[in-house]
Amino acid sequence: MGKAESTEGILVLGPPRSGTTLLRRLLDAHPRIACPPETNVFAACGRFLRSEKTADGVGIGVLEGLEYAGFSREDVLSRLRELAFSFHREYASRQGKARWAAKTAFDAFYLPEIEALCGDRCAYVCLERHGLDVACSIQELCEKNGAYLRELHDYVVRYPAVLEAFAHAWADLARGIRAFAASHPEHSFLLRYEDLVAEPDATMQKLMGFLGESWDPEFTSKALSSRETVGLGDWKTYGRSSIDASSVGRWKKLPRYTLARLAEICNPVLELCGYEPVRVEPEEPPEAARRRYQVGLLLQRLKGAGRKDREPGPEPAPEE
Amino acid sequence: MTGLDRDTLLRFLEERLGLDPAEIDDETPLFSSGLVDSVALAELVVYVENESGVSFEPEDITLEHLDTVGRILRFVATRHGR
Repeated sequence: MGKAESTEGILVLGPPRSGTTLLRRLLDAHPRIACPPETNVFAACGRFLRSEKTADGVGIGVLEGLEYAGFSREDVLSRLRELAFSFHREYASRQGKARWAAKTAFDAFYLPEIEALCGDRCAYVCLERHGLDVACSIQELCEKNGAYLRELHDYVVRYPAVLEAFAHAWADLARGIRAFAASHPEHSFLLRYEDLVAEPDATMQKLMGFLGESWDPEFTSKALSSRETVGLGDWKTYGRSSIDASSVGRWKKLPRYTLARLAEICNPVLELCGYEPVRVEPEEPPEAARRRYQVGLLLQRLKGAGRKDREPGPEPAPEE
Repeated sequence: MTGLDRDTLLRFLEERLGLDPAEIDDETPLFSSGLVDSVALAELVVYVENESGVSFEPEDITLEHLDTVGRILRFVATRHGR
């Protein structure tokens, strides 16, 4: 039995909008795995454990604070771990399933804390998706929510062009997830969103092989037809009756100037993750951008002239 | 000026706008169907102008001239014929 086959829990780690909800629904369709909608438990544990340092390097956080009160770091982690695991364990038990899995899209912002909390006690499904598609999809999410979630605040403050902010967030997360997987090679499975939507059953079979489980294509149909476990997560996946690759490559529609800026941010990490770097077109003369702007204004008159009104930017995706 | 033909236009739609050329024929609505949004259409117009040497005047920016590959090519051909 491999190490990932004997772990109590399975954690899905991926940047927000990288297919975590789709994967959550697929995992939950397995007769032996229970993966509830986003519980936020591990992200909350991450926030609970997060520590800051003074200029002198003194840690200020719960682990340090409780240590002064006589509670060892391992004691605190052990109690918190039991709390976090117990919710998922009980949920799985209620579903009559042997294993639990957890996915919350923002867990990936707390990798060091998840490392401290879970270590080799869990198997990790590390999701990857093209960074520019992720950035476009996060932008869509924020527009839909009318808010930037807490974990994105620093990025939006540092990079006022929001797609650049989200590209930076993706780059940090993707790099972090790669490093996390490398430090837990026997417990981590790298899974590409693009593979999952192109060949869901073949990809799930590989994942299940890693987890020591089997996969039947019936589970895919069950995942998409199930209405039993609605909850927090990506809203669009619930409107899909099939898995397709229509959300792959939407970034290609971004304006050339934006693409050049995003390529600079994302290309090193895209290559690290095995994606083709984004080709940057030669810089165009300023009159070309002005002309596009002018034509864009003229095109406004066509709105309502029998076309489906659609805002510029990324198209709706079937899932994160 | 390189001129503009169907293949060049389809290649642009594929490479720059991410459309599948296999799903587009000369009369597939691009803008009115939502397949291409206004940002992409603006880019398409500027590309067509650069490739063909034809300029779209404000009154030319209409679905009659822009909504399909066939209409774009006919508009360019008409202008070249002047």
